[in-house]
Amino acid sequence: MAASILHVDMDSFYASVEMLEDPSLRGKPVIVGGEGARGVVASCSYEARAFGVHSAMPSVRARRLCPQAVFVHGRYDRYADYSRQFHEIFRSFTPLVEGISLDEAFLDVGGAQRLFGTGAEIAHRIRERVADELGLPCAVGVATTKFVAKLASKAAKPTPSRAGPVPGPGVLVVEPGKELEFLHPLPVGALWGVGPATQKRLARFGIVTVADLAALPIETLQGALGKASGRHLHDLAWGRDERAVVPVSKPKSIGHEETYARDLHDHEALGREAVRLADGVTTRLRKAALQGRTVSIKVRFHDFHTITRSSTLPAATDVAVVIAGAARDLLSHIDPGPGVRLFGITMSNLEDARARQLTLDDPTPEAAGQPPGWDSASKAIDEIRERFGDGAVGPAALVRADGLHLKRQGDTQWGPRQDRGV
Amino acid sequence: MELRCERDVLVEALATAGRATASRGGSLPVLGGVRAQLEGDRLFLTGTDLDLTIADAVTVKGLEDGVAVLPGRLTVDIVRALEPGAVHLTATADEARIAAGRSQFSVRLLPADDFPRLADAATEEVTLDAAGLAEALRQVVRAASHDDARPILTGVLMAAEGDGLRLVATDSYRLALRDLRGASVLSEGQAVLVPSKALGELARLLSGADTVTLRLGQRDATFEVGDTRLTTRLIEGEFPNYRQLISGTQANQLTIGRDPLLDALRRVRLLARESTPVRLSLRADGVELSAVTQDVGQAQEDLDAKYEGAELVIAFNPEYLADGIEALAGDEVSFEIIDALKRVVLRSPESEDYLYLLMPVRVS
Repeated sequence: MAASILHVDMDSFYASVEMLEDPSLRGKPVIVGGEGARGVVASCSYEARAFGVHSAMPSVRARRLCPQAVFVHGRYDRYADYSRQFHEIFRSFTPLVEGISLDEAFLDVGGAQRLFGTGAEIAHRIRERVADELGLPCAVGVATTKFVAKLASKAAKPTPSRAGPVPGPGVLVVEPGKELEFLHPLPVGALWGVGPATQKRLARFGIVTVADLAALPIETLQGALGKASGRHLHDLAWGRDERAVVPVSKPKSIGHEETYARDLHDHEALGREAVRLADGVTTRLRKAALQGRTVSIKVRFHDFHTITRSSTLPAATDVAVVIAGAARDLLSHIDPGPGVRLFGITMSNLEDARARQLTLDDPTPEAAGQPPGWDSASKAIDEIRERFGDGAVGPAALVRADGLHLKRQGDTQWGPRQDRGV
Repeated sequence: MELRCERDVLVEALATAGRATASRGGSLPVLGGVRAQLEGDRLFLTGTDLDLTIADAVTVKGLEDGVAVLPGRLTVDIVRALEPGAVHLTATADEARIAAGRSQFSVRLLPADDFPRLADAATEEVTLDAAGLAEALRQVVRAASHDDARPILTGVLMAAEGDGLRLVATDSYRLALRDLRGASVLSEGQAVLVPSKALGELARLLSGADTVTLRLGQRDATFEVGDTRLTTRLIEGEFPNYRQLISGTQANQLTIGRDPLLDALRRVRLLARESTPVRLSLRADGVELSAVTQDVGQAQEDLDAKYEGAELVIAFNPEYLADGIEALAGDEVSFEIIDALKRVVLRSPESEDYLYLLMPVRVS
């Protein structure tokens, strides 16, 4: 069995895009994320990592570690655009591309080797093309399994240092049969599914490296961690991972949520947010030719206590007013008095809008709670936005002095932009 | 309570009653138990989840009368695992001992006082042919909904129709209707809504039986098959008005061999994944079945058929379509098709007693 699973991971993707488009940022500690009090770091350059900054860290702490860092607010659209482009490059080598996130993908090039060479050769070609055509750096791990490939790409990355990042090999190939040699010296925390809690529990057994873990009888491991995860970790420690590269999986849900710079305290403000989030969610539903039947809301209070509520509609919909109405019904049972810091709407139970099972009782959109005309109105909204931009048309409730206050994918996912009410 | 009984007899009775026990303890743990009552040589076993109750009675060697609620699942598993032969069961106040050969088990009992008191069945009874009812259930129950959000559609309508009994079920995507002629169970105009889950259990009990006795109460229905009695709560509410749907219309007519169509469908379905429909392209000289799943592939198959009407393409959920064809008896199936977006009526040209309505999938 040849090493034909590739894991491609962009190097500090968002920060790299920002440095690519604004040369003045190059060589500086760049942090992409929410700069407000509640923001988090989404991505940071290797220069910033040298100061101990890492992603998912609260921005406040990052600023303390690295006061000279340049904060950049993320531009999801740009990243998504680059992501599409390098996924295109991946797909020119194999149709078996499994995107994990915007900046990470697994490729199975087992069937492409006669055309393009070995896994290692393809890895180098991909890395060169992404650098030449897009100007972005990435690391590629090559192995016989997904999980070893992922660890290999990590090992191929640059290392941060105060004197500037030390380049890594860029491509790391773990040849068949050499998996354990590569795997066993690593700390157990490198394994998928070993978080700080599990790591602590394992430390009690004196387990620090993957080799320690592999030496443990599976029964002991299962006794400590439970049957399923014990078996899972045991397999990983021996380099066993049966999962195949599965191209494009359909979304199970589509949602938007937002953390507010200042807490919301009343139903009126939340109702307006429901309109805004529903507009964003339905725009994405229609773009994906999907309709949803279950509306869920998520409310995180001031003290981080978080609740979710959901209701199922009589018929699947992609119409914003229906979803906003359902969300408001759910909200009416919730007291926002203590302060709401985060609110989200998610549609699940998704159906293909292009192949729609009709019903005998014909729940006309009206019967399903939808005011007449909204199907074609939604279509018209999409067309207007397509031609004149998203801000050209939208719900009146979202009009502010500076234009329409719309919710779009990724616009504030790392925390509010600045302290401004809604 | 103390008794001796053949293992196989006891397993079967326990398992039958156990099918009605609540799968999860829920708020009333006793519902996970099977109530055993010994009177002389008769052992009565009852399981219930409050909606559905199944009681079975078997003849055993009774040694001492009494009542106990056994943990349903566990007891069945224990007795089934024993060596073949006689099983000795003794129940004291809070414990049951099960012994066979050299095996000994003792299990904690559930509080017998907590077991719900079950209403007596209505006295008025009618008797039906078991095989006929089993066939009707097989044809109809499949169309009932499993979606608890619409409880009415999880039921099967049993209504007086002419001199017979009519069974109707729909999940709003399809509707199955069967007339059992001459089976005058209900009085004129009477109709009840029976949970399809209970009728599914009833269908299991009917295999091999000659007759089934039905007693209808205000809120429940009881079916007796041999020594087994199944009682189910009735669903309250108005069943959708289905009559307008089955009234005749001028339609395009397709007649096609049942088995060749089922076989072709089984093949083409392999390429109809997830929500992908199967398409029927109808022409005067035959039918083409096809399915296309993006990024996966496509399948198509030509079938001989008689078609009178306008050429058209109509798409269906392959599972629903296969359900309808399978439910039909006879060598041929006829489809009455109005257009690609309206209900289609499937029936057997040989029998007027059954029809299956199916809504197409709108494809764009």
